[in-house]
Formats: sequence, C-alpha cells, structure tokens
Amino acid sequence: MSAWAIEAAGLEKRFGPISALRPLDLSVRAGTSLAVVGPNGAGKTTLLRLLAGLARPSAGRLEVGPHDPDRRRRRAGVGYLGHATLLYPALTARENLVFAARLHGVADPRARAARLLEAHDLGGLGDRRVGGFSRGMAQRVAIARALVHEPPLVLLDEPFTGLDPEAADALAARLAALHAGGRTVVLVTHGLGRAAAFAERVVVLRRGTLAVDMARGDAEANAFEQTLRSALGPSS
Amino acid sequence: MNALRAVLWKDLLSEWRSRDRLPAMLVFALLTVVVLRFSQPSGSLAGNSATAPGLLWVAYVFAAVLGMNRAFALELENDALAGLALAPVDRGWIFLGKAAANLLLLALAQVTTALFFAILFDVDLLSVAGPFLGVALLGALGLTAAGTLFAGISVRTRYHEVMLPLLLFPLLVPLLVGAVQATAGLLGEGRAGTGALQLLVVYDGVFLIASFLLFEYVLDE
Repeated sequence: MSAWAIEAAGLEKRFGPISALRPLDLSVRAGTSLAVVGPNGAGKTTLLRLLAGLARPSAGRLEVGPHDPDRRRRRAGVGYLGHATLLYPALTARENLVFAARLHGVADPRARAARLLEAHDLGGLGDRRVGGFSRGMAQRVAIARALVHEPPLVLLDEPFTGLDPEAADALAARLAALHAGGRTVVLVTHGLGRAAAFAERVVVLRRGTLAVDMARGDAEANAFEQTLRSALGPSS
Repeated sequence: MNALRAVLWKDLLSEWRSRDRLPAMLVFALLTVVVLRFSQPSGSLAGNSATAPGLLWVAYVFAAVLGMNRAFALELENDALAGLALAPVDRGWIFLGKAAANLLLLALAQVTTALFFAILFDVDLLSVAGPFLGVALLGALGLTAAGTLFAGISVRTRYHEVMLPLLLFPLLVPLLVGAVQATAGLLGEGRAGTGALQLLVVYDGVFLIASFLLFEYVLDE
C-alpha cells in the first residue's frame, strides 16, 4: 500500500462572503505526519474537509493522492474523522463499523469490524448502541470507523477530544504506528504539545492563511515544541 | 449494489430501533384524513368518488414529506452525511438505498391510510384493491424519487424542513395529476386510465434517472 501526497496551490474556500481559506499553498510528501494547528476559525476543519473531498475548492488547485479523475477512487484512499463521529446512534458499534466497511467495499465486513473492535479496546462494547456511549467511547469507535478500509491517507480532526489521558496516549501510539506503517497522516489539533510530539511537520493556520510551517528537522533535537511556541509568539 | 443494500439495511434497522419516522408519518396522514373528512359538509358522502382521490393523495404527500425530512435528519446527526459522501461508490447507489427505504415506509403508511380513508369517506377501495395498490406504488415511487433528491439538497440549508416542501411541491404537480386521475378512474369506472398511468410511469422514470445522476453533486458541500 502506497501512501498519498498532497499538493495544494492557491487553495481557497469561501462560504458566501466569508473566506474560510485564503489562497494557500501546501505540499505534503507521501508518508508524512503533519499536524495542523490554529485558533478557532482559522480554517483547519475547512482545510481537512477539502482534503477529504467533502467540499470543493472555491479557487485554486488541489491534488490528493495519485492523479485520478475518478472521484470514487480518490475517496477510497481517504480515512476521515471529523468533529462529529459520523456514527448512527441507533446502531451498535459493530453495526456502524460493518456499515462503513460495506460502503468501502471491504471483502469481509464483519471480520474487519471484529478486528477493529479488538484493536481499539472496544471488544466488550461491540454490541451496544452507540447512542448510549460516552463521548470518549464514541470517539474510539469513530477512529476505528475512519480506518475500516485501511486508507493510505488518514485525516483526523481533533481526535483527542473527549479521550481520557490513557485513551489519548493509546491513540497517540496508534497514530504513530499508522505513520510508521507508511500512511500519510494529517492531524488537526488545538494542542501544540500533541502536535509537536506526533508530527514530523507542523503548520499553523491563522484567519485562513498559513502563518507558520516548520519541520522537526528545522529545530534542535528535543526542542521542536519550544521552537514552535517561539515562532507562534506570546499568544501560543 | 452493495452500497444500495448497505444504506437500505442501515435505514430500516435505524427505523426499527428508533421508530422515528413511520409512526409520525402514520399519525400525520391519519390526522390529515380526519381533518379533511370533517371539512366536508355533513351528509355529503355522495359524490365522494370525485373529491376523495385528491384528498387521499394530499394525505400521502404530507406523510411522504415528513418521512423524507426525517430520513435526512438521521444523516445530520453526528454528521453521518459526511460518512455517506466519503463512500467510494457512485452516489446514485446511496440515493437508491435512501429512496428504497423511504419507499418501503411510505408504502406501509399508504396502505394503513387507505384503509382508514375508505372507512371514513365510505369509498369502496377493496373491490379495486390490486389496481389501487399498483397506482399507489407508482405514485409513491415518484414521490420518493423526487423527494429523496430534494431532501438531500435541502438538508444542509438552515430551514430544511421548510425548504423541502417549497422545492418539491411544484415539481409534484404532474405526479399528483396522474395519481389523482388514476385513483379517480379506479373509484369511478373501475379502471385507472391509460393516460394517467403513462404520466406516472414517465414521471417515475425521469426522476429516478435524473436523481441517480444528480445525487453525485448533492452530497458535495
């Protein structure tokens, strides 16, 4: 399985008179772990939804993965976790995963769902309805759902929301394993510490523009977070 | 086809567990029938076969719109609509899955409403039950084909519960003309009328094909 690259040039997204993303250039090599950080309203979620193919750019060029005019094949390579969980409350965790697997054409949806439930410590909760889950439990099912088809590009919007410290650490380890397995992982997070700990590269958005773009190699060893905070200034 | 089956299974299972749509559609349709019955001058059951078909289809349309609004409200919860939009399939199959679920639920509501309607309005539907079910199904097919498309279009608007009927009702006129005429023909002369049936079949075909093709763009933001 080959990881996917991202190439954006002059990328813009407008909602009526509001520019959520101003012309933005971003180039992400295949297999990179990228964190996108920024204050509320910076355009992080908009950027992620554009990368996922959920929204069309208002202007500019965006290429995600191999150049392919077939939008279905592009969608096949993306695993996405949004602000919301994308889960159906009336269905059990297992049923939600089976449904997602069937949509993505997984050969054996039930087996894949069972494996994911075990991998995400949800084995005992598989047959409970998601509507009765806590935020953290639902978030774990949602993350499993994003990975059900083993996509080469994983896009996660604030995946640590609602997780207790233990679950957050487990997720961080899982994301590191995904990246080590060759996937391109793009993570949106408020936490600069998490971003610096996980990502090879961090970009900071402010008011729809790229304010800071820093790679781990640009900072001294063990000083990535500190260097980022310095670059962001006092508001960080 | 896998996507169609998956979406149909998901919608029907969700409905079975939550009982969110069908009871509401039934109550609304039956209430509409009761109100329409009492809007008729007392002692005026004679001549019902002229007005009854139109009144019955009013109840069907109201129930259908309610059901289809709720069908997509299900997808708004937890942004599940994004999950459907990300599926690597022709989105037309997702449309067909949603429309098939809407059709099944509407058909159940239609049968129940028709029985209730026949009693309250003293019309003999039983003697033309088979042909009437055929006309009802053709009408329901057109309702759900057009309604599912426009419910998908309106779901992300701020006032989606109002937008759906505003967008949909003008487009339903040809369907309702055919359905009401066919039903009137069955109740009056015992036959639906070729012209009315042709209108229904053409309407259904046009909207099924157009909706299948257009749904690719409906799920984009």
